[in-house]
Amino acid sequence: MGQIVQNQAPHPVKAAATAALARSTAIVAGNEREHPSQYLTFSLAGEMFALGILNVKEIIEYGHLTEVPMMPAFVRGVINLRGSVVPVIDLSARFGSKSTEVTRRTCIIIVEVFDGEVRHDIGVLVDAVSEVLEIPGREIEPPPSFGARIRADFIAGMGKVDGKFVIILNIDKVLSVEEITLLTSGEAAVGTGAAGAAEIAMACSTA
Amino acid sequence: MDELKDELISVYVQESREQLDEMEDGLLRLEQDPDDADNINAIFRAAHTIKGGSGVIECGFIEQFTHRVENLLDALRNGEIAVSGPLATLLLECCDHMRSLMDVLVAQKSSPDDEVQVRGEELGNRLQIFIDSVRAATLPPVAASDAVEVESSGGGEVNTDSWHISVRFGQNVLRGGMEPLSFLRFLASLGEVVGIETVPDGIPAAAEMDPESCYLGFEIRLKTTASKIEIERVFDFVRDDCELRILPPHSKLDDYILLIQELPEDTMRLGEMLVRCGALTQSELERGLIAQQQATDATAEQEAAPSTPLGEILVGSKLVHKEVVDAAVARQTQVTDKKARDAQMVRVQADKLDQLIDLVGELVIAGASANLIALKSRHSELLEATSVLSRLVESIRDSALQLRMVQIGDTFTRFNRVVRDVSKELGKEIELSISGAETELDKSVVERIGDPLMHLVRNSLDHGIEPADVRLARGKPACGRVSLNAFHDSGSIVIQVSDDGGGLNREKIRAKAIERELIQPTDPLSDHEIINLIFEPGFSTADQVSKLSGRGVGMDVVRRNIQALRGTVDVASVEGQGSTFTIRLPLTLAIIDGFLVGIGRASYVIPLDSVVECIEHKNLAGERNFLNLRGEALPFIRLRDLFEIEGQAPARESIVVVQFGGQRAGIVVDQLMGEFQTVIKPLGRVFANLRGISGSTILGSGEVALVLDVAALVHIVTRAEEECWLMYRHVAPVSSAASIPPAILAGT
Repeated sequence: MGQIVQNQAPHPVKAAATAALARSTAIVAGNEREHPSQYLTFSLAGEMFALGILNVKEIIEYGHLTEVPMMPAFVRGVINLRGSVVPVIDLSARFGSKSTEVTRRTCIIIVEVFDGEVRHDIGVLVDAVSEVLEIPGREIEPPPSFGARIRADFIAGMGKVDGKFVIILNIDKVLSVEEITLLTSGEAAVGTGAAGAAEIAMACSTA
Repeated sequence: MDELKDELISVYVQESREQLDEMEDGLLRLEQDPDDADNINAIFRAAHTIKGGSGVIECGFIEQFTHRVENLLDALRNGEIAVSGPLATLLLECCDHMRSLMDVLVAQKSSPDDEVQVRGEELGNRLQIFIDSVRAATLPPVAASDAVEVESSGGGEVNTDSWHISVRFGQNVLRGGMEPLSFLRFLASLGEVVGIETVPDGIPAAAEMDPESCYLGFEIRLKTTASKIEIERVFDFVRDDCELRILPPHSKLDDYILLIQELPEDTMRLGEMLVRCGALTQSELERGLIAQQQATDATAEQEAAPSTPLGEILVGSKLVHKEVVDAAVARQTQVTDKKARDAQMVRVQADKLDQLIDLVGELVIAGASANLIALKSRHSELLEATSVLSRLVESIRDSALQLRMVQIGDTFTRFNRVVRDVSKELGKEIELSISGAETELDKSVVERIGDPLMHLVRNSLDHGIEPADVRLARGKPACGRVSLNAFHDSGSIVIQVSDDGGGLNREKIRAKAIERELIQPTDPLSDHEIINLIFEPGFSTADQVSKLSGRGVGMDVVRRNIQALRGTVDVASVEGQGSTFTIRLPLTLAIIDGFLVGIGRASYVIPLDSVVECIEHKNLAGERNFLNLRGEALPFIRLRDLFEIEGQAPARESIVVVQFGGQRAGIVVDQLMGEFQTVIKPLGRVFANLRGISGSTILGSGEVALVLDVAALVHIVTRAEEECWLMYRHVAPVSSAASIPPAILAGT
């Protein structure tokens, strides 16, 4: 399931993530894989989000990111994940807000998404990971039709945790390789043009 | 068991497809040189191998069809039919049909679809017509004439009318995926097996026996009208791995005795076996053995004399036909040739290779970081050790990457057939010339370049080359020429498709583009720009939509496919003299010698083969983005601006002068960090539309550096400037220049 990269520098993210994933492994093992009720929660601009644990490959601390020019703002860059080059998406920017600022707790969640038959690893930049939660199906509400300030098709559901809502992401949509490619297509990719196009697309879909 | 069969089938299909390629090749050559017996034999062998294999894997429909093809080829080989255009066309169609039968086999269907079936029948009938015409013309039948000429020269004739076949299968027959019994069954299809004796003498003691080895041999009496060659052919598949001896009917006793003595088994025991399977009678055997004993002393003296090749002895004593020996000798040389070639080839699954290369790539990176640490430690012995290590790793990487490179030749030769078929269809005479077939490029690129090339070649054939009368009127040879060429040029692979046809009509293209609203009548376009309009979507100048091209999708698709490979396509044309399409492809996955440069905190790699020189330049800040390089106006790109990298440029900037496709440009960077070898890693789907960056590489420090695609960068900047001016022209009267995006302004 999950795998944690051991870095020399002590990092606040690591302890939390290790513990979270270690617990989840035990729980998930006994569960049916088709109905993931295990979620990894993380914070983004003060808000709590969750994504199905089965998509999560590993969590690493932020560092050594190479920016790729002429890409929309939400494509933060690429990192070297043990020899393979993995793109990193700034989730906050993908949702149309401003780019995430890097702090001591910033980390990258490596997520596995499928583009047809092909498996891709994509890194997701988040403010901090919190824990792995079990959210039973009856505690998950359908997403509101508007008002979440995130594209409706990005939301898989609203999980209720301790009386608060956690936005459960439809990660295949959020990280749809096809859509990202589309957003970066053609000459729009030159300079600010792409970012502008992306913003327009975002504005249109949120409206 | 099923698994084994699946594996057998996949090996069979793969090999058969290769055989079909060879066969097709041969057929194409046949038209040019109808008398090349070796070639005809090769074609026949290919068909026969396919048929033989289909018998082994028990695939009836391939066997049946191939058998009919083989019959015709046999007649061709025996000179009963002359090579003709229709014949070659028919055989080529048969090749196609066999290919589709292979597809049926791969799809694991038990029989072909109706459509394929009908096609098979139709081809079968046409084959039959050819064969019938032969049978009617040549009497008496071949088999009979074969049989008469073998003369016996004394020694007492053994009174049987059956062939005698001794076969000892090699130990590796089973491991090679062959089933000895299926050969015997196949043999039985040639005639009647009168007697068969199993020779179990090769079987070792139970403890030493390897169940995967084959220890068996057989003595067989076969009553058939088939010729010796046909019988030998039964064993073609194990020819190299078995001992086969065939004695014709009415052979003399001595031959049998010789046979008995040559075989490894005990003389008496073998003799008994021959008696049992009806080859000899007991008295014949005894007589023969005694005679042989007496003769031994005499032959001992002769042995001192220079030995004559066995073949000549056999011919001399009229035991076999001259042709048979020649055929056998030719076969032997071919077998050794083939063997020598096969010995140099190992089939490896592509993904295994990719995995290896990934690992080697990581090894390189790990090695580089170890090197870095060693450098820091200043420990001289450690340094020495790591430098040896990194040299080794580098050679491992070089050879590993070489594994993925394939020659483009195979892709090119496929077009021989296309040119032949299409030119026939169009009624034009066109020849294809190929050069640079040995140019190597990445396997994945080779696989995907086929379609765009096909489009271009067809286009040249259809639109490029004029009909013969027009050509003659223009003072050109009647036979048109289409050439395929490939070569390496500054870090890219260039593939050219050119023809000596009519060329592109600039005015026609321009008119069409205006009609299609691709350009404005007032647009000042250079000739080069005009002819490259043919790559725009929905553009087609063909007045008539022909079957081959002219639907207006071709060129558009070609460009899109090539761009998907991060390549470019360009056309140059001289009206009346022909056109040349140039495809330029970057090396997607390859070793490159890179030149590392830094801007701010980021590092970039420029392919070293495109770097001409580096110059240091102060006071670059200014309005104009060109400089005077030894009298030449050299335009340059400020990467810091183009990539929107934050921070101030240092006082001393450097310019890397790059060259590509005959063009020169400068790239302004902060610092030069020197050359190094690197493995390019593709950036993946997310960045599929990113131009200007051709990939990435991992530095010794573990950081990712981007590899610049110089040609695309220049293209981007050129486009941006053009657009800027266009916009300026259109916008200026209404609003101010402030509406021009900052990135574009920065580029001007």
